Amino acid sequence: MRSELKRRGRFLALLFVFALVAAACGNGGDETTATTEASTAETTTTTTEASTAETTTTTTEAPKPGEGVKVGMAYDIGGRGDKSFNDSAAAGLDRAVAELGVDATELEPTAGGEDREENLRLLAEDGNDVIFGIGFAFADSIAAAAADFPDTNFAIIDSVVDAPNVASLVFAEHEGSALVGAAAALKTQTNTIGFIGGVAGLGLIEKFQAGYEFGAKQVNPDVEILVQYLTEFPDFAGFNDPAKGKEAALAMYEAGADVVYHAAGGSGAGLFEAAKETSENTGSKVWAIGVDSDQYNTVGEEVREYILTSMLKRVDVAVFSTTENFVLHGQQSGIVVFNLEVDGVGYSTSGGFIDDITDQLEELRLKIISGELEVPSE
Amino acid sequence: MTAKITSLGAGLMERTGRMSSARKYALLFILGLFVLSLVQLIAGTKQLTAPGTWGAALRLTVPIMLAALGGLYSERSGVINIGLEGMMIAGTWFGAWAGWQYGPWAGIAFGLIGGALFGLIHAIATVTFAVDQIVSGVAINILAAGSMRFLSSALYTADTGGGATQSPRIQGFIGTFNVPLVSEWLGALSDRGWFFISDVAGIGAGMTTRVSWFTLLALVLIPATWWLLWRTVWGLRLRSAGENPWAAESLGVPVLRMKYWGVVISGALAGMGGSYLVVVQAGIYREGMTAGRGFIGLGAMIFGNYSPFGLLAGSGIFGYSDALRLRQDSVHAILLLLAIGLMMFGTYSLFKRNYQGSATQGVFAMLFFIWWFTTDDVPGQIVTATPYIVTLLVLTIASQRLRFPAADGVKYRRGEAH
Repeated sequence: MRSELKRRGRFLALLFVFALVAAACGNGGDETTATTEASTAETTTTTTEASTAETTTTTTEAPKPGEGVKVGMAYDIGGRGDKSFNDSAAAGLDRAVAELGVDATELEPTAGGEDREENLRLLAEDGNDVIFGIGFAFADSIAAAAADFPDTNFAIIDSVVDAPNVASLVFAEHEGSALVGAAAALKTQTNTIGFIGGVAGLGLIEKFQAGYEFGAKQVNPDVEILVQYLTEFPDFAGFNDPAKGKEAALAMYEAGADVVYHAAGGSGAGLFEAAKETSENTGSKVWAIGVDSDQYNTVGEEVREYILTSMLKRVDVAVFSTTENFVLHGQQSGIVVFNLEVDGVGYSTSGGFIDDITDQLEELRLKIISGELEVPSE
Repeated sequence: MTAKITSLGAGLMERTGRMSSARKYALLFILGLFVLSLVQLIAGTKQLTAPGTWGAALRLTVPIMLAALGGLYSERSGVINIGLEGMMIAGTWFGAWAGWQYGPWAGIAFGLIGGALFGLIHAIATVTFAVDQIVSGVAINILAAGSMRFLSSALYTADTGGGATQSPRIQGFIGTFNVPLVSEWLGALSDRGWFFISDVAGIGAGMTTRVSWFTLLALVLIPATWWLLWRTVWGLRLRSAGENPWAAESLGVPVLRMKYWGVVISGALAGMGGSYLVVVQAGIYREGMTAGRGFIGLGAMIFGNYSPFGLLAGSGIFGYSDALRLRQDSVHAILLLLAIGLMMFGTYSLFKRNYQGSATQGVFAMLFFIWWFTTDDVPGQIVTATPYIVTLLVLTIASQRLRFPAADGVKYRRGEAH
């Protein structure tokens, strides 16, 4: 009897430990890798001011066009409140709810992101008409879910999935980068500018670099451009290692660059620190350029004044316009590019540091939009 | 339980740690510098001994070194600590939170406490309840990552300027200092471009110019640890718990308490390494910012043969190669550095009559040399891999002489000796 009890006690203890471990895994998973992969080039940020401003539109009494349309949103790791990619998507969804009157359902994955596909399927079974997968990590799961729910429309951000009911929403990051490249080349006093990429070998960040170099050379053919990547694929740490970002930036400023642009996600924080430190140590101001969202508004006050501008990637625009398109025109598939023309990418003017050159930037922008200039993407 | 260790742990006999061989290491260091300036001359780069490179190397070394130092306390007390990474993660989070609330020095203190808390969990699990040390360490890593995410979403709400994956910026900065006179003199000397002399001066200038006070604090911990572990009774007791706990207990050493000390200090130091990343480098907490430095620290400690000065060298190799990779046009020279380094090891092996090893190293030296000679560029991955290659090399060459604390990883329960 005693031994029986003892055995049962042991079994219970084992069960308890198992539950603990399971809980821990659910919480933690391989969080670091998953997060970095998911957020690739997408940074540290809040929704841009512009988008929040647009959200507050006039509420009319007339029935909204999207009433009865159900939109499902499967965020990636971090979900609402991640100051970045997901927040930007959420802003687009909020706008769609406010302006179009659609019904929104939102799901977030576990910290490890293991249930991305499960979330998509849940949303599809729930009868949503359009389902968004936020981030290129959804590529495989959307392909699988879309095959099983042929009557549901899916949309994926930052990746291309070839299926009749999937819209692939990609951004012309190279075009936006060309504009900030021009800004850098116009602002430099030393005729040297820098580019810090997060992870080399993905193809994605090289796109930013190509555009940046192109834009800089357009306005200043002699400008020297220093390039540094933090890590190489498949090491994704480069998107999340501010310490390395800072050292790379310090080296560039030391080598004479006075404007440095980053496409390195969370590592960008190190760039801003380096700009501040260099400016204070040498007495002459050096600049940093942010990425994805208006980083002027999301970094700490102490480093804000060093952010010349930011290359904007409007995930909110992509989400809203895709929803709007569905509401007005029905099913949509294929690749949709969000470029300068549709305001899918752009640059920020917060802080007023580039007010003196916006004319030239606008000129370049119009040339790119009109097709007079074609920005290389690699 | 594994077989009891009957002899007194050999590690207790080394009264001096590695200081006895200080002269040998100094010689190796100077030789290394010479090779460095030689390679630099041949390869026609300036980055290998530039002050900027060495300043960066120092800053990139410190977090790894602190984690490694943490590992040292734990392993010397006989507890394997795979959880260093998790403790470091806790350090980054708590460091950023306190830095945001109260400023950078509070950030350091809280980073230390945060790491120590997870150290305590590891100690309770492994020392009191004799949980397998590897399992507990892995659990700590998972637990730390998850609970920090939880704390972030709970405390860094939208109005704070932070979010689920990052904190608001900390308040203010930790100051830096130049070593008076030395910094300027060395800086001037390094600009001269004299072979070897300017190179050494450049290295010196890099390590004496704009050094953070936190860096100094961290570096002081190396000799302090050596003194504490090899020159005090407390240190002897701690090491005896890791070498032969049965003998130690029979002599009245509170073995479990010493293990607790070792593991909690271990967590505190790893946490401090985490707070260094936040306070000195990033200015914010960012999820995943430790990027495996805790594990690298563990490797650096093994590289350093469980000694404070050795682990400093080990972490230095990682920090230096990171610094090189993050700076322009210096990476190609690393192939030549590897070739010459291997050649030297090969000669050493030959001298030691290890013909097989010598031949292998010689062949690899030749391959690296050919690679360097026939190319102008090198994939970045090679540079990333360099410290790992060097560590593996050292381990293969010196594995006969590496020794870990005799009772490291052994589950010990009170009273087992009787």
